[in-house]
Order: sequence, then C-alpha cells, then structure tokens
Amino acid sequence: MAAKVLDTTRNAVPFDRANVPGPKMAKAVQAEMAGKLISKAKRPLLIIGSAISEEGIVDVIKSMAEKGIPVAATGSSLKRLKDEGIEASYVNLHALVSYLKDPNWKGFDGNGGYDTAIFLGHTYYYASQLMSTLKNFTKIKIISIDRHYHPNAQQSFGNLKPEDFIRALDVVIAQL
Amino acid sequence: MSIKKNRFTIENLENVQINIGRVVSSHEAKESEGPTPAPEIHDLRDWDMKLLERYEPVYSPVCDMCCYCTYGKCDLTGNKEGACGIDMEAHQARETMLKGLTGTAAHSAHGRHLLNNLIERFGEDFPIDVGPSNLKAPLTQTIMGIKPETIGDFIPVLDYIEEQITQLLATAHTGQEGSALDFESKALHAGMLDHMGMEVADIIQVSCLGMPKSQEDTPLVDIGMGSIDSTKPVLLCIGHNIAAVAYIMDYMEEHDLFDKIELAGLCCTAHDMTRYNENAKIVGPMSKQLKYIRSGIPDVIVVDEQCVRADVLREASKLHIPVIATNDKIMYGLSNRSKDEVDDIIQDLISGDQQGALLFDYEKVGELAPRLALKMGPIRKEMGITALPDDEEFKKLTSSCSQCGACVIGCPNGLDIDKAMEAAAGGDLTLFEELHDKCNGCGRCDFECPKGIPILNVIEKGALKFIREEKGKVRIGRGQIGDPEIREEGRNLVLGTTPGIIAIVGCPNYPDGSHDIYEIAEEMLQRSYIVVTSGCSAMDLGMHKDDEGKTLYERYSGRFIKGNLLNIGSCVSNAHISATTIKVAAIFAGRDINGNFEEIADYVLNRIGAVGLAWGAYSQKALTIGTGCNRLGIPVVLGPHGPKYRRAYLGKPYNKDKWNMMDARDGSVQNVEPAPEHMLISAETKAEVMPMLAKLCFRPSDNNLGRMIKLTHYIEMSEKYLGVLPDDWYIYVRSEADLPLAKKEQLLKKLEEEHGWKIDWDKKKILEGPTRKVDVSFQPTNVPRLVKGATE
Ligand code: SF4
Ligand code: SF4
Ligand code: SF4
Repeated sequence: MAAKVLDTTRNAVPFDRANVPGPKMAKAVQAEMAGKLISKAKRPLLIIGSAISEEGIVDVIKSMAEKGIPVAATGSSLKRLKDEGIEASYVNLHALVSYLKDPNWKGFDGNGGYDTAIFLGHTYYYASQLMSTLKNFTKIKIISIDRHYHPNAQQSFGNLKPEDFIRALDVVIAQL
Repeated sequence: MSIKKNRFTIENLENVQINIGRVVSSHEAKESEGPTPAPEIHDLRDWDMKLLERYEPVYSPVCDMCCYCTYGKCDLTGNKEGACGIDMEAHQARETMLKGLTGTAAHSAHGRHLLNNLIERFGEDFPIDVGPSNLKAPLTQTIMGIKPETIGDFIPVLDYIEEQITQLLATAHTGQEGSALDFESKALHAGMLDHMGMEVADIIQVSCLGMPKSQEDTPLVDIGMGSIDSTKPVLLCIGHNIAAVAYIMDYMEEHDLFDKIELAGLCCTAHDMTRYNENAKIVGPMSKQLKYIRSGIPDVIVVDEQCVRADVLREASKLHIPVIATNDKIMYGLSNRSKDEVDDIIQDLISGDQQGALLFDYEKVGELAPRLALKMGPIRKEMGITALPDDEEFKKLTSSCSQCGACVIGCPNGLDIDKAMEAAAGGDLTLFEELHDKCNGCGRCDFECPKGIPILNVIEKGALKFIREEKGKVRIGRGQIGDPEIREEGRNLVLGTTPGIIAIVGCPNYPDGSHDIYEIAEEMLQRSYIVVTSGCSAMDLGMHKDDEGKTLYERYSGRFIKGNLLNIGSCVSNAHISATTIKVAAIFAGRDINGNFEEIADYVLNRIGAVGLAWGAYSQKALTIGTGCNRLGIPVVLGPHGPKYRRAYLGKPYNKDKWNMMDARDGSVQNVEPAPEHMLISAETKAEVMPMLAKLCFRPSDNNLGRMIKLTHYIEMSEKYLGVLPDDWYIYVRSEADLPLAKKEQLLKKLEEEHGWKIDWDKKKILEGPTRKVDVSFQPTNVPRLVKGATE
C-alpha cells in the first residue's frame, strides 16, 4: 500500500489550546515549502531545544548542519548533539532571543545576526513564548519545523503524528 | 505621662469622646533615616535605570492585543501602538507591573490582616522577637529608615506600602505612562515593597505565635498524601494565613484532639501550622490541592487566602466536604455565620443544608472546625465517599479512551495522557505513575475529553499505589538567619569561598515533576553551596529520598553555613532570604542600612553570590518576589513556564561597555567580567539550569580562592550536564590563581592556544589576556555618589 500523502498543514491549532496570541498567527506550511524557505535564507540559524529524544531527530539535525546551517544548541541539547558529532554552540534560548533582537550582535561566527530562525526540538510552551519576542520585536523570519503548531512563528507545521514528523523533516532536508 | 492608643471620654462633657490614634513611639525616631527613607516611586529610579541599562527588559507577550479600555481591543503585534498611544513594549511592562503588584498586594494584605489580628490579641506594644539578632527587620530598616521594636511599629510600614500600591496601581490607567523602562522601575518598586510586606507578616507571626526563631535544628514533620492517617477524621486547611488556623490548633490542644483528628495543611498555611504546632502534618504544595480534595479524604476544609483554588467549594461539595471560609479574600458566595451559634452552624453543615460557612469570628472557627471534623468523619465514612473510580470503572474508563489527544492539547504541560490511558487499558500503570508527579493537578484535561472521562481522577487512581507511598519529611521553617550566623559566614560569601547561596523557592508548576528541584538541591549541597528554601519548593524537596530512604532534610543540617539546607518557612518567610544579603552588608561590611536601599543593593549586586531559583513559579506573588530580589541585586532563574510572566532582565556579555564599574576608592573605571550575567532569565531543563546557577554566583568582588571555587563548579557542572567546557569560562579568569587547580595546566594551554593569552610557562603565570587584574581592595560600585570624596 502506498504511504499516505504527507500534509503538514493539517491540524494547525495551537498545541496548548489556549495559546492563541492574536490576529497574526503562523501560516501552516507544507514540508517542501518549509525546506525551500530555509534554503533561500541568507543567514539561517537552526535553533535546537532539549526535546530531541524522538527517534530520527538527531539525524535530521546532522543533515541540516552538514548543509551548512549553523546550529544553536539551547536548553541541554548540546551533549546529545556533540555525541553525534554535530558542531553546535550552546546558548540559552531566552538569552538567544535577546541577542537576535540586538542589531549589534555579531552572531556565533562574528559575521552578524541572522535573518531566519528555524525552531526544532523544543519544550512547546517555552519555545512558543520566546518566539513571541522575535515575532513582536524583530524582522527575523521564524520557521517552526517542530512537531506541533506554533502560532508565534511565521510558518509552522500543524500538529503532526510522530511518524509523519520525521517524514516531514526528511522532505525539508531534501530541499536544502 | 505616657499616651497609649485608646478612646477617652472627658468627664462632664456629654457626647464628647476623643480618639487617640497611633502614637509615634520614641524608638521609631531613634535611628538615622538615611538618604531615601520610605522612598516614593521616583526616589530609586536612578538605581533602577542603572540596572535596566545593563539588564535590558526582554518581553515575550502572551497576548498580542490589549483590551484594557473601550478604545480597544488594540492589536499591538510587532510593537505597534494602540489607540491610546501605548506600544507593545510599554504595554507588556505595564502588564508585568500589574501582575507583580497583585502579588505585592497579596502579601501585604496578608500582613495587614495578620497584624490587625495579632494587635487585637497581643497589643501594639508586643515586642518583636526573631531570635538572636539585633538586626531584626533588615528590609524595613533599609527601606523605611526605622528600626521597629514592637509589632505596632509595623503599622506605619504597612500604611506606607498600601499608599505606594495605590500610587503604582494608578499608573496603569489608560493614557498615562508611556515608557516601558519607567513601568519597569515601578515594577521593581512593587517588588521591593513586596519583600517588606512579607517581612512584616513573618516577623509578627514569629514574634507573637512562638514560631521557631532563627533555629537551625527545628524538628522534622511528615509530608505527603501518604502520611495522612485517613482512618481518623481529617481536617484540611488550605492557604497562607495562619490567623484563623491558630485558633483551631489552640482548641485542639486544649481539648486533646490531636490524636483524634488528623490536622493537615496544604500550601504555605501548612508550613506555618507546623511552625506553630508540630503535630500538624503537611499534605503538600498547591499542585496537590485538587488531587487531595478529589481523593475524598478530607472531612472538613478550612480556607484562608492566596493560593487556594477557586473551585474548592464546588469540588468539596460534590464529595460532601463542608468548607469554612475565614477571610475577605475568599468567600465563595457563602453566608456569613459569624454571629451564629457554633451548634447551629454544625447542624446546617452536617445536614447538607449548607455547603459551607463564612466566619470572621476566629474563636468560633477554632471550635467549629474540629468539632465538625469529628462529626463529619464517621458520617462520610459511612457514605463511602470518594471521587476516584473503583477498579472496574477504571478499566472501563481507560478502555473508552479513543486516543484522540484532545486532553494532551488541553494540558499545560502537554502530558501524554492518551498513551497512559492506552497502557492502563492493557493493564500497565507505569505511565500513570510517571504522569502523576509531572501533573500539576490543574484539572484542565477534564474539560477536554469528548468521552467525558474524568481524567484527573483516572490519573490519580492509576497512580494510587504510588500515592500511598508518598511520605516524606520536612524540617520545620526556621525563620530568619541570625546575626551570629552572618558573622560566621558573611566573609566566605563576599570573598566567594562559599560558592553561593541558592534559594530554591516558589510554586510547583514544574516542567517535569518535582524531582528536578531535588536533584538540583542535592547537586548544589554536595558542592557546598548554601541551599535555602521556602514555600511549595521546600515541601517538594522533602518528598524525595536517596537509596537509604533519607530525605535531604535528614541528610543536611539547617545552619547558615556552606553545604547546609535551610527551610526558611512559608512564602512570606522569603523576606528573610533577601534580608540575609542586607545583613551581610550591615554586619560583615558595616554598611549603614537605614533608609539606604541603593547603597545596599549596589553592595549585594557586586559582592554577594546569591541566586534565586523559582523552577515552578506560577503565581503573581512569585513574580513580584523575583522582581524584588532583582531590585536588591539578586538574580533569579525561572523554569520554562517563566517567560509567560512576559518579561526578563537579560545582560549581554558581548556588550563590553555595559560592564564598566567604578572603584569606590577613587572613581576610576574598570571593565569587569559579566558578573552576574543576568538578573531574570529562564531555562528549559534542570541540566541547563545547574551550570547557569553556578555562573550566576560570580561577583566582581570574588577573591582568587573564591573565584577558583566558583569557576571549578561552573566548569564541572557544564561538563557534567551540557557535555562541554563552557565557551565563556575564560572571561571569568583574572589571573592564574583563579584557575581550578586540577585543570590549571590544561586551561593555561587553552588560554594560550585558543584565546591568544600570553603565558609564562616557567612560573605558570598569565602575563597578558584578562580583562582586568585581581585587586583585593577593589571596591566595585555602580553608584557615583558612593565614590570617595563625591559630592551628592
Ligand atoms: S489601553 Fe490603549 S492599547 Fe489598551 S485597549 Fe485601551 S487604547 Fe487600546
Ligand atoms: S490535571 Fe494534570 S494531566 Fe490534566 S491538564 Fe492538568 S497537568 Fe495536565
Ligand atoms: S481526550 Fe479523552 S478520549 Fe481523548 S485521548 Fe484524552 S482521555 Fe482519551
């Protein structure tokens, strides 16, 4: 039997039901489009959180890092990433959004700030709340490729089943 | 002649009565007042702006709209302005200030209620006694410039707080303040007031009600749902204010009822009950409220104020548990029975004619609650009441779950309830047992299930075996840190040889259950930090045990020295934690604290490595406690729910010019390491928070040995929990003597190779590289007027 067509725009309701921020909420995005948007970014930053125990996620992060996307390891994700040989810089997520807000921040490589923040593997409510800083006080594009719908991103997947999640991430990678 | 507060009638003058209000006692004026006694909103603004310049407010709106007034709703997304001209930043600052102010009001109103009650019982002249201390009310002295000696001396203190709350509240009206920074200054003002309000509340209860006074070896008491003997009638008190509950305990003591009735407390009232009478037991923190009521075990519930669920009466009534309300803050629509006979009230409650009663006469509450419990116990037992499903029902309910996931989306922690239901339907309860500790007992899931499954009850039933074993020990709240303890430990704190004070405080809205704070405390204690705790966190710390079955309280003593664990007490006892830093400034450094907030905060910020951790903070009170700590120069870390408070104060270590400080000896400017790096920040996991706590204990005043110890812990915890040497370790190195001994050579090499520092390898000395040299006489300050020879 052929695998069901992957539709990452379904079920695009805040994962925490009451997390409805206001008139501007993320557009639900297909995985392919998310990949294209990421590949178009001039200065993308992949922001990884501590919720990366799901099978397959780390491989995806590795592939993205290998495509040249710098990785910010927030929370306690760094250990796991290092173990897998992924180059990443530890930064606290709260501190990171305040640096991203600062036009004078030089970034992790000293070459300046970032134009696109890609979120993956986060404690839902924590990332959602800190995306709202970026949404309201910066011009940075926020793309969530996490498993749950993030209203404070500009583009986000809907709430996905675990098996669809990894499939979706593979589609993203294929576009990079 | 001495005049007392009273009412006089002058003979031969009919209908003339003279009321003498409060008489200012001579000792109040004894102390010098200092530069800013009883500061107005703007008086400490310069200090606030200094803090806010370095630790910039960062907003994370929960809601992008404002609906304060009928101009709105206004969409402020993207920092737009609303119809009144306020932008998103200022609106968020206003929101945060308002929330904090609610917390300040809650503590101060608690203090006022208690003060009125205690003055009525003991008189205004009842002396303050907090233990072996001359410095009895450090916050009051620092903020007000007075040295209270009697409980009546706190009347003008609360008058001042109440006036300031009104002034602050007024600024939130539409169309006034437009500056986010000024709203922050107001929030900081509210936070400072909050600490003083808490100090009043705790000092008067410690003084009047015989609670432990700076006592390091207070007894251990039982805690946990499993520690309550439900074969006896159970009388449960929920809230924060001991005023009414004290009468219950007196009555029970007088009538030998402690072995006939199980008296249990929930939330901070429980701490204060045990401080008043160690026969009381603690059920647990706020997160256990709904769970414990739903267990059907309590036979009578008494509520007072603050963190009490709004649905207590509704929930209790379903299970025939009468509720007695005792305070203006919570009346639940009940009739006021204060003037009625106790027997009549008992009759109405037993018969079920009324679900509860409101009483402001505490003598009556004292008699009513235990007598009612004695009656209700057997009646309810006979009725066999419990909300939890029996085995058969449990099986049916878990099997009826369609795994739709609606409850997961409704749960604030996104807990995998659906998976636990599925496993339980197959006979495996382990997921429910795991879920039980992570579940904060909010009950939101109950409203989501299309199948009508009472989810929380199912979770509790699924974890019943586990809950029965929930028994721990808590050391009774000790109150203030005494002056002699400060004399002994102050020096170590300022020089850094005691690596820091970690205050694990606040509510139980943890991201991953209460075990996290146990692990954090244990790690810090093993590393010789002083761990102080209070409130719900102090309870949860006592719920977990090591392999030998011992809680942390049984393993670590409660003196204010390195490697000790101190339960300070209830929420209002938090004041003693911030006051400890003031005591160090006064006693160790000899600073004049009277009405001298700015100088003391400057001292604390630069010299005392104290950090607050409110890992499960949920309440407005926790927000204002944190903000009050920040104004005093104490950084605070929140758990991942923390950004819902909307605002953090974050430093930017790469912004070098923000870390310039003056040397108070000559006004010369030094660029210092970012210490402390942030004022208010959040973290995602316990693994992230441990090295963060270590780092936030760095202070510019650390001597070499102190810095070496702190750096060792920072590096070790970073390696242990994050798997790496932190990339900013070297910026905290001022000389080779700051380097951890065991790694000295390895780190010198890194300094040379990775950071280009010059090393003299023969002498193992750093020749060039650090931002600054260590100078033991350096007097770091952020306040120009404190520089020697400066004119005001
Ligand atoms: S207070 Fe201002 S922003 Fe808020 S609803 Fe009224 S006009 Fe709009
Ligand atoms: S009661 Fe527990 S499981 Fe239910 S929504 Fe609240 S935290 Fe989640
Ligand atoms: S909402 Fe009800 S039916 Fe749906 S997963 Fe949760 S318990 Fe099952």
